Amino acid sequence: MEKTNVERIKLCCAKCGFTIEEYTATELAEVPRKAKRYKYLLNKSSICPTCLASGRLKEVRTTEEATAAPAPQVEANSSTAAPVQHEAVPDSPTPMMDELAKGPWPSHAKELKQTKYPVPMYEEALQKRTTQWGYGGYVSLPGVAAGVLVRASARPDITKGSNFLRIMDPCGNFFKTDAMRGLCDIADKYAYGLLHLLSTGGDLEMLGIPTENLRPAVAEINKLGFDVGSTGDDYRTSEECVGPAKCDLALYDTLGFRYAWYQRFLDDIQYPRFPHKVKCKFSGCPNDCVRGAQKTDIFVVGVFRDLPRIDQQKVKAWVKGGGDIGLICTRCPGGCMQWDQAKGLSIDGDSCYRCMYCINKVSGIRPGGDRGVAILVGGKMRGKYGPMLAKVLVPFMKAEPPHYKEVFDVIEKLTEVYDANARKKERLGDFLLRIGMNEFFQLMGIEPSPLLLGQPRTNLYYHWEREEVKDERQP
Amino acid sequence: MPGIGIPPLEANLPPIVKRNYGKWITHEHPRPGVIKHDSETGEACYTVRAGMPPNARVSTPTLRRLCAIADEFSEGYFRLTQRNSFEFVGVDPARIDALIARLAKEGFPVGGTNRSLHNTTCCTGYIHCHLAASDPAAIMKAVSDMLFEAYTTDSLPAKLKISGSGCINNCGEGSCADIGIVAVHRDLPPIHVEKLKGCEVPLVISVCPTGAIKPKGPGMVEIDPKRCIHCPACSVACAAFAPIGSPDGDGVAIVVGGKTANTGYGPAFARVVVPYLPNNPPRWPEVTSTIKKIVDTWAANARQDERVGDWISRIGWEKFFQRTGLPMSLKVVDGYDARSLEYARTNVRFRW
Repeated sequence: MEKTNVERIKLCCAKCGFTIEEYTATELAEVPRKAKRYKYLLNKSSICPTCLASGRLKEVRTTEEATAAPAPQVEANSSTAAPVQHEAVPDSPTPMMDELAKGPWPSHAKELKQTKYPVPMYEEALQKRTTQWGYGGYVSLPGVAAGVLVRASARPDITKGSNFLRIMDPCGNFFKTDAMRGLCDIADKYAYGLLHLLSTGGDLEMLGIPTENLRPAVAEINKLGFDVGSTGDDYRTSEECVGPAKCDLALYDTLGFRYAWYQRFLDDIQYPRFPHKVKCKFSGCPNDCVRGAQKTDIFVVGVFRDLPRIDQQKVKAWVKGGGDIGLICTRCPGGCMQWDQAKGLSIDGDSCYRCMYCINKVSGIRPGGDRGVAILVGGKMRGKYGPMLAKVLVPFMKAEPPHYKEVFDVIEKLTEVYDANARKKERLGDFLLRIGMNEFFQLMGIEPSPLLLGQPRTNLYYHWEREEVKDERQP
Repeated sequence: MPGIGIPPLEANLPPIVKRNYGKWITHEHPRPGVIKHDSETGEACYTVRAGMPPNARVSTPTLRRLCAIADEFSEGYFRLTQRNSFEFVGVDPARIDALIARLAKEGFPVGGTNRSLHNTTCCTGYIHCHLAASDPAAIMKAVSDMLFEAYTTDSLPAKLKISGSGCINNCGEGSCADIGIVAVHRDLPPIHVEKLKGCEVPLVISVCPTGAIKPKGPGMVEIDPKRCIHCPACSVACAAFAPIGSPDGDGVAIVVGGKTANTGYGPAFARVVVPYLPNNPPRWPEVTSTIKKIVDTWAANARQDERVGDWISRIGWEKFFQRTGLPMSLKVVDGYDARSLEYARTNVRFRW
């Protein structure tokens, strides 16, 4: 049999030589996603999960026989090895935490004490009025490119540090108790036994995993049917509102949409390669329970175009039952509602915002039937230039289950434009601020529409291209 | 081995949800902490909502106890909400009293629906973060204890959301809430020269919002103290600039009027009304008393269904400061704002 040689390219920590990721030369030449990811890793400074040194990675090329064993991945039968445990922290008095254990509300201080969390880290932070943790960041492990965070300790006398895993939450944040018990078992076996339910980004976080335990813990989480991700410059864990699962107002199937999202974009969710993180949230209606307009780079929200539907009989029954219809008419932000004892409720179509207020409050009013989604982009809480609300990119499009191809195509194009044009560590909102909405619409190939505007410009400066200047009098 | 993604759509859905998926027609709030959804199939789904410890930090023993309750009362399923409440979905209406009593015994309050204080949310703060300028978990514990009655009764003019962030990265969403706390740093970041070697110096220079970091000879940078806005952008990008903060430098700003629904005046971020209050663990009396002042004034003056921001937009900021008695200072006036995207639409209140 003829021997073929395979060139392997490893990206290793420059200090300790730990392999972060590994590719074959053929993969890099033929798989664009891998090539992008490779280039991304080479051009950034990374934190090594074993020695915690931060810096550029070292590239190591080796040639091996094709029959050689594949690169070490997450061990599947890892449960046989005994998990490493954190050193026990001796008990010490905790006056601050004891104070926080009092009162009627459930106490996080009590919870911390029931776990292997190094309690003095929190107690001393409260006493000294400053955090006791040290620098940290996102790391990749061989086979686990996203989902692992390391946190160094500023108090090595108490604890050496602590890693944690981000686990992507199931659809609608519903949990079967058996699944949650499984996660509890893993947290007890490998970590502090302390969970974060959920982070504001929508992930379930498992705190305090020694470095040696990370890969076996990920393997067991996978065995349970869950997966890790949502760190670094990729699509972060998307969050959906409860939608049709338990809400009468959902204008599209947010759970199905998010599930389809994971089917289509899983690679970009688990292998960071964008200029910066891209957060995505999906809300079923303009009530926006997931706070997408404020928090996310890509926000897909259910909207309807026709007017709210009024069931006069039900509204009358609601008024009879003590409902304050006068309040609804006054509090309507468009001021478009009129109540007449005999004729019932009427809506002035020109001034209705489709804001959901009357629908939320009166049981006889339902959203209209011409339903679809709007896509908003560039919302964020910090980035370079502070909080920004998301801006309308697509005011209305149909969301077609089960694959939502048209909507996802727009989002994919958006990410490509962002990937190709944004600077390193520039959030989408900051990128929009730098290039301007008009140029962004051009890059996206979006037709101008008043629905995209808060208002037209008041600024009179405008740059006309040479080609645009011609004699308008000539037909 | 990653590549699995999220569990299948229906794997974790309770049976009552599967039977009525997309068929709900209306909802109501029969009592505080309980929501009733009616389906076109004629079925009604009762949900009981319980409050969680601040930062939704739960130990596995506690979580196992909650799971046991879910097994007993909601067919072995539960839901975690956007604001970290623990929801028992599909509870038999005849057993709601028993469930509430059982939760009370285990130390979990039921409430946070309709016109009440909703579950507070916050970031991890001192528990596990190197950037924290304060401990929002402890502050939220103090706030929740103080406003406990507002959580368990429907006694407010509208819903009230209170959130806390431990630094201006705002992971705890302080700026999204009706009343938010956002911890702030006031110190210059350090420069640990020995760690600069592991950094991408050009990246650190470019992430600084005000251009306060400048190169100074080979492999060295300097910080312009006049331009620094104490955001931890450089501390995040490079270990040489961490940790930022000190016991007396760090503290808490209070912001009000954030919301995301398109009702009322539409989505908006909260605005700074108190630029700085000191860190005073374990119960932050200065912060809690300021929040109490704002909540009491709002509750006494707002009209029905008027959230904090709606109320302020009706009465104006001059009345807000007058009624709450909060001191006005130049420090709540924006001295740093590079935003000019004012022409873009930020809501979906279309007039088709």
